[in-house]
Amino acid sequence: MNKKLSIRNNGMVWIAPAFLFLLIIIYYSIFYTFNLSTMDWDGLSPTMKRIGADNYTKMFADKVFWKAIRNTIVYFVITFVIQNFLGFVFAAILHSDVKLPTVHKCIIFIPTILAPATMAPVFRLMFSPQGMLQKFFNTVHIPITVDWLSKPQTALYVLMAIVVWEFTGMSFILYYAAMSQIDKEMLEAAQIDGAGNIRILITMIFPLCKGTTVSLAMLGVIGALKTFDIPYLITTGGPDHATEFLGTYIYRQGIRQSHLGYAAALSVMLLVMAVVGAFLTNKANKGE
Amino acid sequence: MFRGCKQFRKRKDDKMKKSISFVLATLMASSTILAACGTANTSAPASAAAPAAEPAEDASSGSDGAGGGSELVWWGWTPGSPLNEQYIAEFNKEFPNTKITWKQTTVDDYDAAIKPALANGEGVDIFEVSAGSANGGVGIFGGQAINMEEALKGYLGDDYADKLNEASLKSMTVDGELKALGVGTVYAGNLWINQDLFDEYNVKVPTNFDEWKSACDTFKENGIIGFVQGAGQGAFNMDTYHAICDNIQPGLFTKATRGEAEWTDPVFVQALDLWKKLFDEGIMQDGALGIQQYPEANNMFLSGQAAMVMMGSWYTMNCLPDTMRANMEAASSTDEPFAMVPINFPDIAGTGNVGYVFCDIDYATAVAKDAADVQAATDFALWLGASEAGQQMIADSLNLVPVLKSVSPNWDKVVLTNPEKQNKPVQEYLTNAMANPDNPRFGGISADLNQAMMDVLAGVASGTLSSADGAARLAEVE
Repeated sequence: MNKKLSIRNNGMVWIAPAFLFLLIIIYYSIFYTFNLSTMDWDGLSPTMKRIGADNYTKMFADKVFWKAIRNTIVYFVITFVIQNFLGFVFAAILHSDVKLPTVHKCIIFIPTILAPATMAPVFRLMFSPQGMLQKFFNTVHIPITVDWLSKPQTALYVLMAIVVWEFTGMSFILYYAAMSQIDKEMLEAAQIDGAGNIRILITMIFPLCKGTTVSLAMLGVIGALKTFDIPYLITTGGPDHATEFLGTYIYRQGIRQSHLGYAAALSVMLLVMAVVGAFLTNKANKGE
Repeated sequence: MFRGCKQFRKRKDDKMKKSISFVLATLMASSTILAACGTANTSAPASAAAPAAEPAEDASSGSDGAGGGSELVWWGWTPGSPLNEQYIAEFNKEFPNTKITWKQTTVDDYDAAIKPALANGEGVDIFEVSAGSANGGVGIFGGQAINMEEALKGYLGDDYADKLNEASLKSMTVDGELKALGVGTVYAGNLWINQDLFDEYNVKVPTNFDEWKSACDTFKENGIIGFVQGAGQGAFNMDTYHAICDNIQPGLFTKATRGEAEWTDPVFVQALDLWKKLFDEGIMQDGALGIQQYPEANNMFLSGQAAMVMMGSWYTMNCLPDTMRANMEAASSTDEPFAMVPINFPDIAGTGNVGYVFCDIDYATAVAKDAADVQAATDFALWLGASEAGQQMIADSLNLVPVLKSVSPNWDKVVLTNPEKQNKPVQEYLTNAMANPDNPRFGGISADLNQAMMDVLAGVASGTLSSADGAARLAEVE
């Protein structure tokens, strides 16, 4: 009786439904994926063949896998820096006395709410030699051929530009909210002591927004690892895997080529990297 | 007293923690064991374990009578609404008690959507499959379909094989079982040209590399793209490469897909060189690798921005003015339909080997093992793929070439946009295509070879891979 009461008092009864749900849906799926990663299976055939760690051996020898990892790292570093720099600057500007602040906020944030599926054909056309950007260059007589999506050397950077355009609004809104929490009297005191705006921005406001930066870094790491829609819809991971990410490669292997076991091994690696990435960013936050 | 109470509470808390740990550990362990039980079973998913329901011997005496009727769901990606609903309406004239709902996905999403649906075993009664490594490949999805052979025998007789296109049976047979009934074949390996533009700018229809390049240059000077290809969509690159290979040495490509020739053969290296030359010499439009065949290249051709495109027999339907007008509107063009005609792939290797096309079943209809009413579903598959009425509908739509040999488009009834310019080349094209020897399009290509070929073609075109290395990479595919 006492035991029952104590369990109830500790809230076990109340968290049990959610806990069981989590256990069954999330952890079971993870375990299932891990189990699948040791199989050779096309997803439908009646027989699954257990092959141990072969899928992992294959993965570490797979050039496309390493290309996807490299792309993910480059993509994260560049988009994170540019996106957050712009978001921070826009937030700082809009905290000063600009006219029509709401209009500016909307303009900055609207790309974030546009669905990539809607925008993908627009970007494919915009960045093609028959598109709007090419027409603009032709009109102003700038001798540039807009065939960047068709070249492995440039396609990834076009995608990064699109992502920066799309998600700068998110960084902006979070930095804007963080800056709203800063005590204005402290900034006024700094001004009285002779600090200029840029110095206040760098040495006071930016450090005070560290929590936001770390949160954005964590979201950025996970987002980069999960990247799928924009490369899949715009370049389908090409040309020649130049814009391949783990997400697109998992889809390609699992669905297109019906190597579900191999796709599961890639998914397990994705999970491990996401956990490590989140752990490191979290540690960086606490490390101060 | 206070300390003693605290110690008591500590012991109680420790006990409590142990209890919680025990409960958690038990839950985790049982969950793991259950999971292991569920997944360590290396046999089939439940749906596949169900016994296959075989159709009746006499498939024609199906579910049309005054019985209770059936409700079926037909999954597929082609030809798309409203044509599928029109087929169903025609079918219902003979089989009024069978209600069929058409469920369409995009061609790219089909595999991802149908796989879990079939594995679930419910909600899929009839589904489209295609040959080889194309989407909805029968090699993957055929395992969830019944064997149609007996039903087909009952419908067309023991000599059914003589009455149908050979590819429709061959490419749909998996492990000796006929897993689906072909509806129509598609042929690829040719170009379509906007004849009106050729006439307007007095451009010679290209028959070799130089003429092709010259035609592209002339159009470019007039602000029109000569040849357009969405080389970002690999399947169409494979068509072009296959056509080049057939131009150099007909049939070798097919032999290689069957393991009867090596991909490192000089023919394939030469074909990759010619493929690259199409990009280097400006036959392929600038930025070709950055766009898709659908929608961009298709839209450019249909809106008159491009004069030539690499498409197959499925494009014949655009010779019908109403179909073309609808497709032009979808391509954001309000112009009047133009005369488009098929031409042979130019003799770019200078061998004289031209006019070769390759074919596959565009799609076939499979009946799911777990269909709600296998008999009614079989009736529909037979009506669409083996009946005169169903096949005539397919033929007259010009979307596909019918698989039933006794049926051909009713040219008295089918009126093209510009009969004077189009009738002869279109009829000759279809006749020539149907007479071509055994030369599958994707039918003999595995999913892995398909991916490797798309990678190699993109790599060679973009200059990141040499032709020799590309051919070697194809040879590496098991």
